[in-house]
Amino acid sequence: MMNMKTLFTASVLLIATSAWAQIPKPGEMPAKAMVLTGGIAHIGNGDVLENAAIGIENGKITFVKPMGSVKLNPETADIIDITAKHVYPGFISPNNTLGLTEIDAVRASNDYAETGSFNPEVRAVTSFNTDSRISPTVRSNGVLITQATPRSGRICGTSAVMHLDGWNWEDAALKADDGIHVNWPNRFQRSGWWAEPGPTKANEKYDEQVNELRTFLLRAKAYTENPSPEFNQKMAACKGLFNGSQNLYLHVNDAKGIMESVLFAESVGAKKPVIVGATEAWLVVDFLSSKNIPVILERTHSLPANTDDHVDQPFKSAKALFDSKILFCFDYAGDMEAMGSRNLPFTAGTAVAHGLKYEEAVKSITLNAAKILGVDKSAGSLETGKDATLFVSNGDALDMITNDVTHAWIQGKPVDLDNPQKFLYRKFKEKSEN
Amino acid sequence: MEFNFSKFAPSSETIEMTRKIFSLVILLGTASIFTIQAQTTFPINGVQDKNAAVYAFTHAIVHVDAKTAFEDATLLVKEGRVIAVGTGISVPKGAVETDLNGKHIYPSLIDAFSTYGVDQGKKEKKENPSPQYDAEKKGAFAWNDALNPEVSAAEKFSPEAKKAEELRKIGFGATVSLVRDGIARGTSALVLTGDGTSNENLLQANVAANYSFSKGTSGQNYPSSQMGAIALLRQTYFDADWYSTLNDNTKEMNLGLEAWNGVQSMPQVFESPDLLSIFRADKVGDEFGKQYIFLGNGTEYRRIDAVKNTGGSFILPLKFPDALDVEDPFDAQLASYEEMLHWEWAPSNAKALKKAGVLFAFTLEGLEKEGDFWPAVLKAKEAGLDSVTALEALTTVPAKMLGLKEVGSLQKGNLANFLITSKDLFNEKNVILEHWIKGKQYKFSEAEGDSINANYSLKMGSKSWNLELTGTVDKPSAKLVKNDTTKLDVSFSQKNELVTISFADEKEAKAKYRLTGRKDFKNYQGQGQGPEGVWADWSLTYTSEIEKKEKEEKGKKEEKKDEVKKDTIVGKVVYPFMAYGYTEAPKPQSIVIRNATVWTNETDGIIERSDVFINNGKIQAVGKNVAVPEGTIEFDGTGKHVTSGIIDEHSHIAISRGVNEGTQAVTAEVSIGDVVNSEDINIYRQLAGGVTASQLLHGSANPIGGQSGIIKLRWGKLPEEMKVKDAAGHIKFALGENVKQSNWGEYYTSRFPQTRMGVEQVFYDAFYRAKAYKAEWATFNGLGKKEKSTATKPRRDIELDILVEILDSKRFVTCHSYVQQEINMLMHVADSMGWKMNTFTHILEGYKVADKMKKHGVSGSTFSDWWAYKFEVNDAIPYNAALMHEAGVNVGINSDDAEMGRRLNQEAAKGVKYGGMSQEEAWKMVTLNPAKMLKLDKKTGSIKAGKDADVVVWSDNPLSIYAKAERTYVDGVLYFSIEKDKAAQNQLNEERNRLIQKMIAAKKGGAKADKPSKKEHHLYHCDTMEP
Repeated sequence: MMNMKTLFTASVLLIATSAWAQIPKPGEMPAKAMVLTGGIAHIGNGDVLENAAIGIENGKITFVKPMGSVKLNPETADIIDITAKHVYPGFISPNNTLGLTEIDAVRASNDYAETGSFNPEVRAVTSFNTDSRISPTVRSNGVLITQATPRSGRICGTSAVMHLDGWNWEDAALKADDGIHVNWPNRFQRSGWWAEPGPTKANEKYDEQVNELRTFLLRAKAYTENPSPEFNQKMAACKGLFNGSQNLYLHVNDAKGIMESVLFAESVGAKKPVIVGATEAWLVVDFLSSKNIPVILERTHSLPANTDDHVDQPFKSAKALFDSKILFCFDYAGDMEAMGSRNLPFTAGTAVAHGLKYEEAVKSITLNAAKILGVDKSAGSLETGKDATLFVSNGDALDMITNDVTHAWIQGKPVDLDNPQKFLYRKFKEKSEN
Repeated sequence: MEFNFSKFAPSSETIEMTRKIFSLVILLGTASIFTIQAQTTFPINGVQDKNAAVYAFTHAIVHVDAKTAFEDATLLVKEGRVIAVGTGISVPKGAVETDLNGKHIYPSLIDAFSTYGVDQGKKEKKENPSPQYDAEKKGAFAWNDALNPEVSAAEKFSPEAKKAEELRKIGFGATVSLVRDGIARGTSALVLTGDGTSNENLLQANVAANYSFSKGTSGQNYPSSQMGAIALLRQTYFDADWYSTLNDNTKEMNLGLEAWNGVQSMPQVFESPDLLSIFRADKVGDEFGKQYIFLGNGTEYRRIDAVKNTGGSFILPLKFPDALDVEDPFDAQLASYEEMLHWEWAPSNAKALKKAGVLFAFTLEGLEKEGDFWPAVLKAKEAGLDSVTALEALTTVPAKMLGLKEVGSLQKGNLANFLITSKDLFNEKNVILEHWIKGKQYKFSEAEGDSINANYSLKMGSKSWNLELTGTVDKPSAKLVKNDTTKLDVSFSQKNELVTISFADEKEAKAKYRLTGRKDFKNYQGQGQGPEGVWADWSLTYTSEIEKKEKEEKGKKEEKKDEVKKDTIVGKVVYPFMAYGYTEAPKPQSIVIRNATVWTNETDGIIERSDVFINNGKIQAVGKNVAVPEGTIEFDGTGKHVTSGIIDEHSHIAISRGVNEGTQAVTAEVSIGDVVNSEDINIYRQLAGGVTASQLLHGSANPIGGQSGIIKLRWGKLPEEMKVKDAAGHIKFALGENVKQSNWGEYYTSRFPQTRMGVEQVFYDAFYRAKAYKAEWATFNGLGKKEKSTATKPRRDIELDILVEILDSKRFVTCHSYVQQEINMLMHVADSMGWKMNTFTHILEGYKVADKMKKHGVSGSTFSDWWAYKFEVNDAIPYNAALMHEAGVNVGINSDDAEMGRRLNQEAAKGVKYGGMSQEEAWKMVTLNPAKMLKLDKKTGSIKAGKDADVVVWSDNPLSIYAKAERTYVDGVLYFSIEKDKAAQNQLNEERNRLIQKMIAAKKGGAKADKPSKKEHHLYHCDTMEP
């Protein structure tokens, strides 16, 4: 206890010198292998292994086995007893501006919305702030990977899959330039102003806007097929869409838009379309399933889109996608998404309350997300050979009342789970106790 | 003298004809005709041509008014007036007589709410979008540009020839016109739709005084919300009253208030753009002893009892929605049940009002074009409105309602404003042939003759052909019959008894026969030229009727009519009028929930395997093996958790037209309680999240905002029924970035305050003013009777009234706050002014000053984990609630968000996660603690015998992500349960499907059908800015 208090005081002194210097240091690669023992291992692929032993060495998972089948040797590996605790692959938060923004209302802190309509060349990876004050609060709840995603315009830019720890963006990048994001044209337009909104009208420019997008991407495709094109930065940025190395993220919510955008993607030759948002995906599950299109489903904690919708529609859409064998994951995009992405696990929990099986919910924010983002070779599940990106929680991590993360590693490096908010907590708790 | 009267009723309804009218007519029949020569001040250019002729319309069915009609009657008109009407009237010599031969005469129609002939003004586009805080109207008028009581439509009236003609054509001879601009809109005028000058057509100035909640072209910021408009109305009533008692005009000279006082004795007409606005306006009217006539909006049928209870009469628009194009199932998703059911119900609105005994007139207002009027009236008739009521609503009712003289009926002495029609006015085949206004004729068309369906034989020279004539005898169309299957088109035009016919007798023939001639009874004859140009005589002679076909068509038509009749069955009205509304109000249950885990929020804490007995809206007993009377529903609560309902201290659901009146730094006069929106789906959604009561707060755009509305979520009830009776008054204050307009954009940099320093001084200023006001009234009220009569009464200020309530600890402040220095500051302001802060809301840095809060005795209602959305929340931490709680502060978790509002149980759970609160204490943050903040804890907030049965049954520990609210009771009424919701979903599905099929059928039947469009639900947060 004494030690703890000294430690707290020391850190208070250290951090109080500069309010902005509260971001913990990135972890260092342990010299020794380690074994997590006795935990309940949620593998991420839908399986669970109670009383598991998980071996980690050189940043990789070396084995996941029942305790009884493993011989422990404290000389070759540190033994970390996590008996009866839960261990999960690091949760993955796709489609988010975390790392690209600090304070919503402070324009100077926002780096996710470039001006102009067609900006495939702008890259999130190089603007990703590893010293964000928000990131440490997010990983404290088990979210260890985020997809830094540009917003605004028709083609918003190119996203990157990032670890939530690292000295700089090069360190943190798990997959740079994983895909290009498109805001599919809205079928409707608002009228009036926000205090007295008028009726919503059909977007008369819808066809024109779709065609503009088509023209752009067809040009890009022709460019990539041209053996000696005249260099064009925007066209060159789209190359991966046509060779299957990059996803085409289609942000669209309405049922017709979902179908149209998928058919559109096929027609322009984009190899890997992903539907993002997908409020009404539950209406077109057969279509999505037959086309084998993955879905990044909007925040579960949303209001139903229409007055007549079932009150729990957003809670149960995931179950509908699961039942139709659609590959899906959850995002936390929307209001206050960067800071709110620490609640991503609970949105998956809500889907459980509304019919999704628990391990499937875990899968949706781990292996499913990794598959969709194209990082499943190294991330997304507790399987031999994959990155040791995982965390331990005292209780069920999908329920806020039991989510209590005690350890986390990103590629084998321990993550400091302290954060600026915990610092303020200690500071003022101490004041009140004195 | 004996006269033969015959009574003719335009509909099947029995109509009592009064003896008075009989005798009146008898007298008229014998009276000598005498009128005074009209003089005018206008000089004549040329030779005067005064029309002093008597016009006699004979053998007509004269409808003197909707209920009185004479067959084979005569109408005498001279110099613009009716001088006699009835049967047995002898036509004076020298009269211009028109034999109407059984045609109808009706009084001209009146539009009770119109902008005809009156310039409406335009909103000026400003180059600089800076806020306008002061009035810009020229002249010594009211302080607010939305108050225009001095405007007289009569003074602005000038006839609009084209519009007048359109109005005349559809039967409107007069309109009550107004300048539809502002909250007080001045007076309307009765004008004719004739084509003369302004002077000739203006009948009556100052007909009625007009009001609305819309500020119209006023560029002044205040009021920006409907609650602001309501407050402005209230204050103006008080001000006008005060002004009338002023005997010292050095205090204020105000032509606006003078005009306001001048119009109070007229009929008062209030424009209500939606259902709830009617009740809001009526409430204001009641407060000041005014009974408004309401310009309705077509949704009155949805709450017909409440509409009747206003005691007001209505001016009803006839705008009925078009069908929606719902053939595409995905498009149909966008069509709401509300709009589809409204489509079905709208034509029945007038009938519903009639049935309820509410008096109404009609208006063209809301119709896109004049041509839509008759189809709409016929739709209303088809939906069950009787013709008498319809005609009254267009004639005598507006006349009586608005005190219109000399119009609306054809009694002697009234203006000769009448229609001559071919048939009963409400017959769908009727044609308005002539419209007479003030004795002047406007002729539209000849009478449409009887239908014709006959075979004719055409002979010309040596040739002969068979022709078929169909249509009407005035406008027949013709075909040349070659054989049974081949018929050739014949051009047949007939005008003023002359006919021109041309045709080719072979399909391929290019040259045509061209005939001209005249009609001779049924037949025709004349001369013409053949294809080669040879002249010859011709004759067209009737041979026989085309009988068989006619019968077939008739049969078909009748079948169709039956179909239409079947289709007029409409869905039930639901409360509220939208998806998940109830057809019948659910009643309080008598139920015992057995063997559940009960979170009492009392000293018993969380008790396992316990019973809760609910009856008569109250919790009757809590404990094991509770005995219940017979008839009590037994509910097995094994494995369930029972709690008191969630109370959201900070909510912005269920609010209409603006959450912020942020246009002035202090707006204590406005109240969310005035604009509670009972028709918000989020009420239902939150019931599904276990919420039973909410404080609907004003936004945070200004330091002193508006009063709250505290409601229980009694889904289906009206706003006044949702409000918690006898709840203590609360008001919203705000601090920080919002009130200093930090994020309002570059144009909002002029309103005081722009810094936290200024915010403090706004509070001091407000309370110094309130204290002075209180003292002023105390002095006045302390005067003796005699002194009072000579003293000037202080001005009633509804803003300061509210601040005085705060000083008197009769109203409690919830203050939006973020950083510690401002929290500290406001507590100092309160202490030094002699009142106590009740609750800090948001309070994200409360943890830094929790000890001071505890000392002051203020509660903290916070978010569980929000931060990083603006600069002032940079130090917000999710441990805030736990730290404040540990310091002994009464802590709540609130939503400020319609989505989070339905998951407040989860947000409370974060108190356990962040800071290690006990589950019991965490749960109190969304139940008992907010009840304490709202001073409702004696009634609700815990499971205790005697308290209101605001109870939720959960599937699991309510703090768990896996918990679902399975049953939500408010006052013992089960407003939500998973089973009821499922049933409602099924019913909704059926109803939607029924309506969709009906709309598709309507579209196939030729009805206009618009594409459905996405509805944007307008969600308020207190941080959302309204300039």
